[in-house]
Amino acid sequence: MRYQNATAYRFLAPYLLIFSIFWLWPIISSFLISFQATRTVPWRFAPTFNWGRLIGDPAFFNALKNTLLILVIQVPVMITLAIVMAVLLNSPLLKARGLFRFAFFAPVVVGEVAYSAVFRLMFNLDYGIINKLLNSVGLPRIDWFSNVTPAMAVIMIAVTWRWAGYNAIILLAGLQSIPQDVYEAATLDRVSKLKQFFYITLPLLKPIIVFCAVLSIIGTMQLFTEPFLITERGGPGGGTETLGLLLYRQGFRSLNFGYASAIAYTMAGLAIAISLVQLWLTREPK
Amino acid sequence: MAAVTLKNVVKRFGVFEIVHGANIDVNDGEFVVFVGPSGCGKSTLLRMIAGLEDISGGEIAIAGKVVNNVEPADRGIAMVFQSYALYPHMSVEQNLSFGLRMNGNPKADTERRVKRAAEILRIAELMKRRPRQLSGGQRQRVAIGRAIVREPQVFLFDEPLSNLDAELRVQMRVEISRLHKELGVTMIYVTHDQTEAMTLADRIVVLNAGNIEQIGAPLDLYDDPANRFVAGFVGSPKMNFMAAKVVGNDGAVTVELANHCGAKLRKPLSGAAPAVGTEVVLGVRPEHFFEAGEGDCDIAVKADVAEHLGSVSYVYANAGPEELIIEREASRQRANGDHMAVSIKADRSLLFDKSGARIR
Ligand SMILES: Nc1ncnc2c1ncn2[C@@H]1O[C@H](COP(=O)(O)OP(=O)(O)OP(=O)(O)O)[C@@H](O)[C@H]1O
Ligand SMILES: [Mg+2]
Repeated sequence: MRYQNATAYRFLAPYLLIFSIFWLWPIISSFLISFQATRTVPWRFAPTFNWGRLIGDPAFFNALKNTLLILVIQVPVMITLAIVMAVLLNSPLLKARGLFRFAFFAPVVVGEVAYSAVFRLMFNLDYGIINKLLNSVGLPRIDWFSNVTPAMAVIMIAVTWRWAGYNAIILLAGLQSIPQDVYEAATLDRVSKLKQFFYITLPLLKPIIVFCAVLSIIGTMQLFTEPFLITERGGPGGGTETLGLLLYRQGFRSLNFGYASAIAYTMAGLAIAISLVQLWLTREPK
Repeated sequence: MAAVTLKNVVKRFGVFEIVHGANIDVNDGEFVVFVGPSGCGKSTLLRMIAGLEDISGGEIAIAGKVVNNVEPADRGIAMVFQSYALYPHMSVEQNLSFGLRMNGNPKADTERRVKRAAEILRIAELMKRRPRQLSGGQRQRVAIGRAIVREPQVFLFDEPLSNLDAELRVQMRVEISRLHKELGVTMIYVTHDQTEAMTLADRIVVLNAGNIEQIGAPLDLYDDPANRFVAGFVGSPKMNFMAAKVVGNDGAVTVELANHCGAKLRKPLSGAAPAVGTEVVLGVRPEHFFEAGEGDCDIAVKADVAEHLGSVSYVYANAGPEELIIEREASRQRANGDHMAVSIKADRSLLFDKSGARIR
């Protein structure tokens, strides 16, 4: 047994080495850096320097507010949408199932820059298709990128478009693991399709839904691409700046690594905390 | 309570016809078992009665009313699935009451029905558990309980015992029999196990490849099978079939057993006897071999293997290309390779033509 363990570790060694250097060390290092003043040369240890600034920084709270706002609106909407898509994909009435499955999954593999450019074009004030559509049904055009609320909406729509299908595919696997005869038994029990969905499908799908929600919470906490590329670095005027963007701005524009590390740890802590609350709220009753 | 009538019922999946015009009359309160080899269409037939499969042709009536286009829930049936199909996220109690609760049944009545089902099936102490915390037999009981609370006119069972071990199967078999007596309702039961069919049924429907081979009381099927398939399917161990040729035709028929040194059996028939020279098959059940000299035709065999079950032994004797199974009262001395002589009685053997039809 001992010997086998030792052999196993020898096989694991290359991975563990790389993991330690490129994952473990940065994690520890950035934690240490967050306690240092990094805009003096040399860096000096100042435990409250960055963390103290964080507590009183309006830019941080603005980014936190934006991130949480996107989280509480976009994640539930996307998960709901993903469930609906999964149920439709699972329907025996659906033709060309494989095509739809691919189409729903495709956004994930599209390059981020390309997709962001397309979204910017679609929501363009003068010749974007969205405004054309609004016009054609008699609604006024919206200046999507100059006002905070529409800009936030664009971010949420874009993120939802990109990840709903991905979640739907995961949920579809969950749906397919529910045995058919349970539904047949319910049909014999005179339970309508709708009630079957709420009383059988949803409860049985719950662990997968929670899994998707936790993944999405972690993803949204780190949201960066969309506000960086679509609303041009959190515009208008920081209105869509997220924690990820603030981190980038502090770390790589101002080269303030200490503060950026403190923000990074806050993001990770929040993601863990929210996920734990979520898991606790949806735990199996014993 | 209700009778169930199937009239020329046909089932097709695409171009494949699975059930070829089934006619079955199940009387009110009767226990009917559909039996047949795997894939013969038993489940399909049952699911058509339940309304879980469309009927491609013909008519199914329950309690005198044609139900071809009636919703499953409105047919007055309850079904017990082979896989139990319990709701995994609900307690036993919730499993039993789910259907009633969803349909706004008065609470007091739901409770009464659940309590009664729990008493009948002796699962009262399991009510708070989830299905995964139950043994196979307990799950089966809950599945039956869920059928009972619906107070159906007809119970449908699809191989309800096939996931249980042998001992539990016998025990549940007795319980289902008791349930039928207690509730007195019509029950249709699907199995591929002929022992289950023989012990439970008032009448058995023998199916083969989508055709009904015979319908009758268990002992009628045993004593008087309509054809070689039924003769081989009913009874355990299987009936022995021996190649034979008609050599005499003088009111009674005389057949010569091809693989037994020309042993001859004279057998009176009620119908027309086949012509001399016709190849036929003689069927003899393992339990219908007698001591040499006691019957109408003695044959000599060489015992290959003997299975001693205690009360009886089964001797597997290889005579030419035909293996014979011979039941003997347990005698411990019989060793492999023994030569023995057994006797066949004319009235304890059956004659079939080449196509498998009975020659009476
Ligand atoms: N949905 C379906 N589509 C096509 N063919 C089917 C379908 N369901 C069943 N069949 C075919 O119908 C035939 C009868 O199936 P059925 O399930 O009724 O058999 P069974 O007698 O219940 O067998 P078993 O003892 O194995 O349960 C089989 O040949 C099966 O392949
Ligand atoms: Mg079956």
